[in-house]
Amino acid sequence: MSYLSTTDFAEDQKFVDRFRQTMRGDLELSWMDVAREPVSCRPQNERRGLTFRDLDVGSYGFTEMPERIRQNRSFAPRGAALPPGLPDLQAEVNRKSEVWAYNVEGYYEEAMTRQWNATTDIPWDELQQTELPEEIGKAYAQLLTFLTEVEMIATDVPAKWMGRLNADFFEVKNFIATQAMDEARHTEIFRKRALSTGYGLMRASAHNEFNLKFLRDADSFAEASLALHLQAEGMVLTLFRFSEYISPTEGDKKLFRLVMQDEARHVGYGMQHLKWVLDHFPERRELIHHHLDEAENFVFGGGYATEVVEPFIILSGKGLKKEQIAEGVRITNAFQLKQIEEYFERLAKCGLPERRERSRLWRLVDLNRQAMAAIAPSTSVPHA
Amino acid sequence: MALRFPSLAFFEALQREMRAERERFARLGFFDTIFGIRVLPESPGAAAEFVLGFEVFDCVRVAEGLAGVETDFVAEGSFSAWREMLDNIHALGAADAAHSFNTLTHFGERLSVRYDDPDRHDKVYRFAESIQEFLDLSARFDFDYPDGSRPPARRQLRRTAT
Ligand SMILES: [Fe+2]
Ligand SMILES: [Fe+2]
Repeated sequence: MSYLSTTDFAEDQKFVDRFRQTMRGDLELSWMDVAREPVSCRPQNERRGLTFRDLDVGSYGFTEMPERIRQNRSFAPRGAALPPGLPDLQAEVNRKSEVWAYNVEGYYEEAMTRQWNATTDIPWDELQQTELPEEIGKAYAQLLTFLTEVEMIATDVPAKWMGRLNADFFEVKNFIATQAMDEARHTEIFRKRALSTGYGLMRASAHNEFNLKFLRDADSFAEASLALHLQAEGMVLTLFRFSEYISPTEGDKKLFRLVMQDEARHVGYGMQHLKWVLDHFPERRELIHHHLDEAENFVFGGGYATEVVEPFIILSGKGLKKEQIAEGVRITNAFQLKQIEEYFERLAKCGLPERRERSRLWRLVDLNRQAMAAIAPSTSVPHA
Repeated sequence: MALRFPSLAFFEALQREMRAERERFARLGFFDTIFGIRVLPESPGAAAEFVLGFEVFDCVRVAEGLAGVETDFVAEGSFSAWREMLDNIHALGAADAAHSFNTLTHFGERLSVRYDDPDRHDKVYRFAESIQEFLDLSARFDFDYPDGSRPPARRQLRRTAT
């Protein structure tokens, strides 16, 4: 059973008497006399409308919010008067630095205006008219299977943490609510596309799922965000751009452009969050490295598993012939180098430039370089 | 007189077309970025440079020259690479699978995206569909190239698996 009230209100004489008085027209009105801060909020940019940033005033705003939220432990909206007797809801995250990000309010507004619809915004008719060669269709269906698997957990993670954040962090809660919606739409679109290829869903990936479990089971929101928003989604963002590049049709390209837009916001939040943490709490640097060590181990295992990499090779080489595979390996290598390079660039921008030296992902880069060197150069080789 | 690519007038025409499509761009959402276009000449000479600024649902700034302008990224390529993309858009009404902006820039094979700040660079991703639909608007008007040649006339959009 759910939470049991400590009061039986129907039997509580004081409560019942007060209710009767009110309904006889004898109003108490004490809530009206609470001293409140007068506010004036209007759009800074009329064309944009009234944004959360326009509401950043005084005690209602986020700029003056302290690092530790000791006052509001209830559902009270930030800035409301807190009467005695509000419940302590025991939010798990009460430190601003664990969740806050520069521009989180901007990412939220952007997310709200850039929502799209997997059912109606994709030219499904046109996609259905295009028959894919069997090996391309199967490889694409396998990639879509992997992505469907990834997006489901990407939905679960923000949703899991949303209710665990202190109510004062509502801009973050709202942002991760848009993320959960985005990821749900990604699960939807990849499933729909997999089934519309005619090949359906192919094989789930154990390696991938261990990585997803790691993301889901993070001990804290800060760890979950570091591994999900910045690391995993950063890798996925480059992967979406690559998927657009290798997509077989215009409709598929549009599909990947739409998902990459959403993904880039999630990564943007992750970057601005890590930047916030390092700017305000540089002593957490070492902890962050330790967490990234393990996150990178998992992402290597998940992102480089056979059933993930082989579809990329077939799709980028456009087939299974020997020379197509060689071309596919070359292009996939270039993609993986680009993916790692962009990951380190983002970390450096957040204030973690030394990660490049500490990371074991370089071992992987070396493997890639060796593989590329072993393949005869081709005029059509893309250079990362 | 026909518009010419590359020129300020060409990008102003794109800006007008975007304004006429306000509902479509509002549906795509906030589009806040400022980026550069650099068209490198085929033989030694100065590049043609333009800056495009977007805010809320509009293209609010089109200007020539990138010197001293702070941009999120600069899309750069040879005249022939830009021409190939524009010819394709003009012939088909929208870029085909081989000529989308992301595909052309992804590995920097035909066009490349130059940037200093990875966070600002990610706006290429954050506004990918808006950028593509903005470029696709070039199918709507006639223009020519410096040698007087024109992009191919419109033909039926062919949807193919590559
Ligand atoms: Fe996603
Ligand atoms: Fe995401």
